[in-house]
Amino acid sequence: MEEKVLTLNKKHRIAVAWAQDTNTIGAIYKAVKKGFAEAILIGKSSEIRKTCKAEGIDEKIFIFLESENESKASSEAVRLVKNGDADIVMKGLVGTDLFLRAVMDKENGLMLPNAVLSYVGAMEIPAYHKLLFITDPAVIPFPDLDQKVAMAGYAIEMARKFGVKKPKIALIGASEKMSRHFDNSVDYSIMCKMADRDQIKNCVMDGPLDIFLACDNKSIEIKGVDTPVNGEADILLFPSLESCNPFYKGIMLFANGEMAGLIRGTEKPVIVMSRSESEKSKYFCIALSCLMA
Amino acid sequence: MVLKNMNELKRLVEGGPRKKLILAAAHDQHSLGAVIRAWKDNIIEPIFVGDKAGIESICASNNYDITGLRIIHEPESEMSVETAVKMASSNQADILMKGKIGSATLLKCVLNKEWGLRTGNLLSHFALFEVETYHKVIAVTDVAMNIAPTLQDKIAIVNNSVACLNRLGYKIPKVAVLGAVEMVNENMKATLDAALLSKMNQRDQIRNCIIDGPLAFDNAVSLESAQLKGIKSEVAGDTDLLLMPDIEVGNVLYKSLVFFAKAKVASIILGAKVPIVLTSRSDSELAKFDSILLAAAACK
Repeated sequence: MEEKVLTLNKKHRIAVAWAQDTNTIGAIYKAVKKGFAEAILIGKSSEIRKTCKAEGIDEKIFIFLESENESKASSEAVRLVKNGDADIVMKGLVGTDLFLRAVMDKENGLMLPNAVLSYVGAMEIPAYHKLLFITDPAVIPFPDLDQKVAMAGYAIEMARKFGVKKPKIALIGASEKMSRHFDNSVDYSIMCKMADRDQIKNCVMDGPLDIFLACDNKSIEIKGVDTPVNGEADILLFPSLESCNPFYKGIMLFANGEMAGLIRGTEKPVIVMSRSESEKSKYFCIALSCLMA
Repeated sequence: MVLKNMNELKRLVEGGPRKKLILAAAHDQHSLGAVIRAWKDNIIEPIFVGDKAGIESICASNNYDITGLRIIHEPESEMSVETAVKMASSNQADILMKGKIGSATLLKCVLNKEWGLRTGNLLSHFALFEVETYHKVIAVTDVAMNIAPTLQDKIAIVNNSVACLNRLGYKIPKVAVLGAVEMVNENMKATLDAALLSKMNQRDQIRNCIIDGPLAFDNAVSLESAQLKGIKSEVAGDTDLLLMPDIEVGNVLYKSLVFFAKAKVASIILGAKVPIVLTSRSDSELAKFDSILLAAAACK
């Protein structure tokens, strides 16, 4: 992932809302040092400077913008990006709801008209041979058909940015059968036909599929299911936030997976990471957002 | 294996054992002719249930020699249908045909819970067309029975029709689920049902056929049309069975084919214990005869 970003030769200006957070500062510092980012740290400057000093970070490489609270810092970060004074907005030590409120503001926010706001994650999993993109672990609780179609579009777009020309997207369920009792399998069947008819483009789509059929080609033989995804999924689309979120956390906890992700549906990239995420994860997110910018 | 025309349908049943066809309310000018002809061609062995005198009189005035044929005297039309249905139900006949009685009355007896011909399946109408401008026969369902089929109904209708086509020798018939357009449109239920049926077929939940849809009528019957639109489909241009979204469009297609395309047609009702021939007075003699042929071919 990092390699792709470094080839871009451009410095992206990142506005960080309420930046007084060790992991965030550390991650931003790394990105700046690597040469693909510049940072505007918004918040209580004295606090931020204190952290820099404690971490041995040279504060001079940053631009500081004083702000008195989380809400104002979020609005300010968004404003900078909207004005063109920054390219990417990043959430620091502020609650996601509060931060997204600034992003989604009707007048001053960063929403694209009529766009669906959603989150796509990119996972590096030692046991899997390539990057696995997943959606949506963070924003949409129970996506309807239109939202699922938008989610698929964003994930496909991201995979293509990583060089996967025609990503294989698996629509995840508990089984591969269509049942009118499970709305998700109904939505998935409709989406597959849309992909057949090129209404969803640039992908090989199948679902419903369980995770084994999506990611394990031995499973295909055992179950005898004929699917073009064939255990080689690039993207997993989940039926709900509550299924996607525990999936990525489980992978991180038990399979040493790493995840970086991005909010889509906005004019400019928006980085939202949990306050408890590691510096490494945050760094990957920054790299990802620069790639997608 | 496909059937190119009605003659090939006839060849399917010729030479085989004659099927027993029971004609309910048989004192009927409009159905006797086709039945006698099918008997003469050794396709069926008729059993007449109805007013004996009436039956004999019609046959006499038409010079139908029915010597040796079984007549069960039952002057009252509704009772004759009940008798006929009971006989079919107890394996005394392979095909049930409607004579001088309303379809509704006949179907009511068919659906009788005690002695009827229920199998637990939905009843559906199946029509087979020979159209000069199409390279083979084409089946259309359901143009006369199910008014506004739900997804579940469509599954049953497809299953009935595919089973029938299997019995006609089609190993894996191609089924086109029709809509007004070939793209999925959330406001067009026909296109959504088509997507679901396609997926169920892919997952082997609907078997012994290949289903694609939505397809517009031209995409379904013309490969050129489909290619112009860039549609990738195993069914387009080579459809064996058209699944109609509802009865209105089905009925209009049926009648358009007959009146404008001068198509030949055979129709039967599927889903009961035996195939049912429900011809109406407005059907041509040939259509009535071909329907009997189809019923005979469709017997298990």
